[in-house]
Amino acid sequence: MNVLRRTLRHALLSTTLVGLSLAALPATSLAQQETPPPPSSPRQVRFPKPVEKTLKNGLRVIAVEREGVPLVTTQLLVRAGGETDPQQLSGLAQMTATLLTKGTTTRSATEIAQAIEALGGTLNTGARWDASTASVNIMSSRLAQAMEILADVVRRPAFKDEEIERLRQQSLDSLRVALRDPGTIAALVASRVVFGDSAYGHPLGGTPQTLPSIKRDDIQRLHQSYYRPDNAVLVIGGTIKPAEAFNLAERFFGDWQKPAETLPAASTTASAMQTGASQRVIVIDKPDAGQAAVVLARTGIKRVDQDYFRGLVANSILSGYSGRLNQEIRIKRGLSYGAGSSLDVRRDVGPFVASAQTKNESGAEVASLLMGELARLADGQLSDVEMTPRKAVLIGSFARNLETSGGLVNQVAALALYGLSLDEINSYIKSVEAIGASDVRQFAGGRLSSKGAHLIIVGDANKFLEALRKQFPNVEVIREADLDLNSATLRRSTNLP
Amino acid sequence: MRRLSLVLLVLVCALGLATTALLPPTSAQVKIPRLNFKNRTLANGMRVLSVEDHQSPTVCIEVWYHVGSKDDPDGRSGFAHLFEHIMFKSTKNMKSEMMDRLTEDVGGLNNAFTANDVTVYYEVVPSNYLETLLWAEGDRLAGLNVDEANFHSERDVVKEEFRQRYLAPPYGKLSYYMTQHSFMTHPYKRPGIGNIEELNAASIEDVRAFHRSFYRPDNATLVVVGDFDQKQLDAWVDKYLARIPKPDIPLPRVSVKEPQRTAERVFTEYGPNVPLPAVAFSYLIPPQADADNHALRVAAAILSAGRSSRLYQSLVYRQLATSATANAALREDISLFNLTSILASGKKAEVVGRALLDEIRKLQDDPVSAAELEKAKNQLVTNQLRDLETNNGKADALGEAAVLLNDPNRVNTDIEQLQAVTATDVQRVMKKYFTDQNRVVLYYLPESERPKGEK
Repeated sequence: MNVLRRTLRHALLSTTLVGLSLAALPATSLAQQETPPPPSSPRQVRFPKPVEKTLKNGLRVIAVEREGVPLVTTQLLVRAGGETDPQQLSGLAQMTATLLTKGTTTRSATEIAQAIEALGGTLNTGARWDASTASVNIMSSRLAQAMEILADVVRRPAFKDEEIERLRQQSLDSLRVALRDPGTIAALVASRVVFGDSAYGHPLGGTPQTLPSIKRDDIQRLHQSYYRPDNAVLVIGGTIKPAEAFNLAERFFGDWQKPAETLPAASTTASAMQTGASQRVIVIDKPDAGQAAVVLARTGIKRVDQDYFRGLVANSILSGYSGRLNQEIRIKRGLSYGAGSSLDVRRDVGPFVASAQTKNESGAEVASLLMGELARLADGQLSDVEMTPRKAVLIGSFARNLETSGGLVNQVAALALYGLSLDEINSYIKSVEAIGASDVRQFAGGRLSSKGAHLIIVGDANKFLEALRKQFPNVEVIREADLDLNSATLRRSTNLP
Repeated sequence: MRRLSLVLLVLVCALGLATTALLPPTSAQVKIPRLNFKNRTLANGMRVLSVEDHQSPTVCIEVWYHVGSKDDPDGRSGFAHLFEHIMFKSTKNMKSEMMDRLTEDVGGLNNAFTANDVTVYYEVVPSNYLETLLWAEGDRLAGLNVDEANFHSERDVVKEEFRQRYLAPPYGKLSYYMTQHSFMTHPYKRPGIGNIEELNAASIEDVRAFHRSFYRPDNATLVVVGDFDQKQLDAWVDKYLARIPKPDIPLPRVSVKEPQRTAERVFTEYGPNVPLPAVAFSYLIPPQADADNHALRVAAAILSAGRSSRLYQSLVYRQLATSATANAALREDISLFNLTSILASGKKAEVVGRALLDEIRKLQDDPVSAAELEKAKNQLVTNQLRDLETNNGKADALGEAAVLLNDPNRVNTDIEQLQAVTATDVQRVMKKYFTDQNRVVLYYLPESERPKGEK
């Protein structure tokens, strides 16, 4: 069905255990009004328990069984992603991961697609900032066939010149499209502004200038250095017995040889940028923009930060349908279809981003609302009446994510990637519930201060620049045609390499 | 079902699949778990479908109203969708956004969507909130109580939705133009989002009239899936929903018939934000409930499901196009089969258009092989399995069968029909519907390519 939704929120599935009473609802004094019937007592949730073993070659294998429809997801995760890209070769990790399915020593790209799709399965590969992944989703009864294909593409990719050229052209065309979308441009500019020339600053998918520079040798070298069993995790989750999962892991990955060379140390340049950078206010002038994309961005935290759960709850106060940003921007003022924020945690310090799209005329007003709400989180009132439902949102959404085999595997793989205890699945709810208002205020003041936040607006500058200058005299205006994502200056100059 | 799959797994292992030369799987081996639903109709005409499933302590509640964008009043294009937003504002017993307090605030979610033929409201909540939500759905069905301020601010939100979906992204207007050009007389020709002028013309009186006409128990289907006790559910339904009276006025229904197409029509549209040209075709195909749609869905999968599909292989892999998709966009009164392709840089729209036509002709001239047919069915069956992973997915499938196919049993039987499709069936529907005179063609080009003097 071609449908229009009330919100862009994702309709995944739910579970929760918060026994919240309805006492917090606004009391009403009108005669003859009914009040909603209260909830009955809550039921307990049981989450699946991951079990693991490590193969002789160093590959960590995690199995997690859940009941339900006969589907399984298997994800092979390699601990290296876009953060390893050299500046002039941004997009390398992404291109390498995408090429895995474009041919192996025994199968062509088309044969790989035919093999997995004949089984009804999907095979997807890609790179994130701190990891690269290859995943299959398939009926349980066909997992063995699918895992053979998964192992083939991860262990024996051919990286044929012909396929490299094809992917390069396709990626350049995709960029041509993406770089015309105000929201996409704003997000890419935000990364450069927050992280400058350090590891998380470049576009993960590369730029029109860097993609042509990537050579087969670069791709081959990345694969040899990082795609190895002692740098990988295999997670198998869904309707499958752990013993069976371990057997399949041994069968298809047990003879994957670990190279003699030592594993390269992870680069740690990202956090170098986190303090001291002065606030920038950047307008990308795009006169044909159908809407202005407004983004507030600053450094956030690492995934392993001890303040992680404080950060999650702080972000939940701001974000989500009834979070403060959407309350102020959409619900009260009708200025946007949706406003929200994300605390993007990674191996190193990732970004905190708050954003909304609005008609060009309201660009400055939305910018000041975003900035104001970030400041109010640190300085303003925060009661338990507001906290409790925002924590419930986190818990419910966490539980819903565990209902599909794909969601379950993603959660477990992320814990493994960051070296966290797999038991965190079963302690998540307690960790969220333990956060109080003072935790959030401290976190917001110390780690999410609005003073360290940069502002980026991509849109028709004529319609909002004057109003914006009144609030932010230091605005830098860059024409869309002059935008250069290859460096922190963001401005095209004639003497670029 | 779980037991069966384990048996299969054990068998596979016992056979010792030491080599990877595996038997091609056949979709007929796969049995999709059946949804065992209860079906009752209340005295006021409301249909209630339910599936008891205690796997997770949650429940999904959906209310399907048989009213969609095709029912937008004259001069009020976009109204059914705007109305859907207004259903979250105040009612007799609830303040604005109280639905969010009853769902989001307790760890659940709510949302709603408007399609051509239906408007669907749904919540997923911890199961101990089921009674609360049945009360709330009953309350907003019984009556709205919206003020001017809330109405105007929500209308502004919908205008931002229009900008965000159709004006800001590249190709946002492609589907909009395709909808407009694909129908001659049927109200399906009006895109469901409407337009700024007609949204501005909408009033609170329109909201009241629309609610009176369409939001009534005999035009509603309640679907409940998840962790509940059937007897308890029946009692709550009797208490909160059976009490809503059925009005005496008749239900308005669209009776306009879309004429058969008699000659190919070709359109060209231009946009300010079109990095690469696009070409799209539509063919009129039968109403959603028609049996030919099983074979048409299989044809769509053969054409564009996955990277081994025909359009991917012949257009994307050969670098004529950056994307190429085919889908049967099923509607209650009459449907469209759409083919849409965004070009690769440096290619000509006419060349890509001809390549799409070649792929259609191949499916008309030669029967698909057994292996290719099985692949498409395996993909469709596995997709259905993915839809059944959650209570929300199950409720969606059941509601669609009940309201759009007018037979809830089809939630279980359609998949068997689909698995029974033969190569001859596919060839037959390709010949029957994919004729030159049944084609609308749209070229979507950058503004810079508009001929001088043309508007």
